[in-house]
Amino acid sequence: MAKKVANVVKLQIPAGKATPAPPVGPALGQAGINIMGFTKDFNARTADQAGLLIPVVITVYEDRSFDFVTKTPPASVLLKKAAGVEHGSGEPNTKKVATVTKAQVEEIAKTKMQDLNAADVEAAMRMVEGTARSMGFTVEG
Amino acid sequence: MQWTEIAVTTTNEAVEAVSNILMEAGATGTKIDDAADFAALQPTFPGELLDKSSVPHQESGAVVTAYYPATVAITELVPDITQRVQMLTQFGLNIGSGAVLTKPVAETDWATAWKKYYHPVRVTRYLTVVPSWEDYQPTDDAEKLLVLDPGMAFGTGTHPTTALMLQALEMTVRGGETILDVGTGSGVLSIAAKQLGAGDIYAYDVDQIAVDAAKANLDLNPIAKDVHVAPNDLLKGINQSADIIVANILAEILVPLIPQTWPLLPEHGLFLSSGIIADKYPLIRDNLVKTGFKIIQTLKRGDWYGIIAEKPGADD
Repeated sequence: MAKKVANVVKLQIPAGKATPAPPVGPALGQAGINIMGFTKDFNARTADQAGLLIPVVITVYEDRSFDFVTKTPPASVLLKKAAGVEHGSGEPNTKKVATVTKAQVEEIAKTKMQDLNAADVEAAMRMVEGTARSMGFTVEG
Repeated sequence: MQWTEIAVTTTNEAVEAVSNILMEAGATGTKIDDAADFAALQPTFPGELLDKSSVPHQESGAVVTAYYPATVAITELVPDITQRVQMLTQFGLNIGSGAVLTKPVAETDWATAWKKYYHPVRVTRYLTVVPSWEDYQPTDDAEKLLVLDPGMAFGTGTHPTTALMLQALEMTVRGGETILDVGTGSGVLSIAAKQLGAGDIYAYDVDQIAVDAAKANLDLNPIAKDVHVAPNDLLKGINQSADIIVANILAEILVPLIPQTWPLLPEHGLFLSSGIIADKYPLIRDNLVKTGFKIIQTLKRGDWYGIIAEKPGADD
């Protein structure tokens, strides 16, 4: 049976720890989804990555049933992992907190290429590098 | 609690950086509406019919939205976020308008918005889940009603894991059994067991919100008024023996529960478990067998499994 798509919602939320609190509640409540049903499904499927922020794209059907796919973690999370830091800088133009190499930026850009909707690898690298520098990371090389 | 929605209008290029700014400002997640995502959208799941003209979407650019509780000083947060967003141009990112808009959001908006889509559903042969605000009469003598106010506790009856457990109860309850309901959530399984003729029922949940929700739901079902509900971490410290133990919780939590059920069950006592996603099924099956249980039946709906396991008798 063909399920007609009524809505598509993209969120970035912590794996294994989704709750009905925002942004899940307002986003999915408006879409008519059983919020607790979603959080239980999402937490079960992402339990192995618990705590890591991950993007999720939820497809809502006309009967208010739903399905979802999770994506690779956001560039900011991959950058923090690559640099070995917990947080970015509050004053990124003056206070640098970490360094990543151009090669690491390229690797993250390639990992995230499909999710970023960038025209090519160069465009994806510009997005990742800009994100890195906005977090107070120095990009070397 | 009141919340404030902060929405930043930007471009696809700056979505990742803006989302990070909102997260570092204390959000627990973000919502992303990106015209580039919509342009690239393809049917994702089997049987899916995607008519893009009927799907609401962002026409151009992108909007990243986050929410902050009333405890956060929004008047200080907004200028800070605005400044951080404007600064992105220095790092080579096109921020588009970079407009930062705020809007108050009341919690009740999302806690109840989905209810209008919730209607009575006959989940199994005999059991029909009815939302408390619907006036519904059984269509035949065999139909039993489970009246629920789904609220903020899991177990609206229509989720596959709950449906599997309702099916398992229908297959195993003969009448008069003592039942332990572990991780009761909305209380739906205790109500169903009572409707099927069970005797004494003891329901537990580690979450006080769920305990309160279960009590409220039991009150909506006169037959289930004598169910005992209490906060408890799985079956730790519980000495009450039972003919059947039911647990609809995630696989990771079922693992430590399995050995706790064993001493509370008599020979031929049953342990019904659900909440098991497909790739965790072998883990639960193996743990049950290792503890000594015999798998009587495995039930499946979509990606989810339910298991009926028996403590063997001396005659087995």
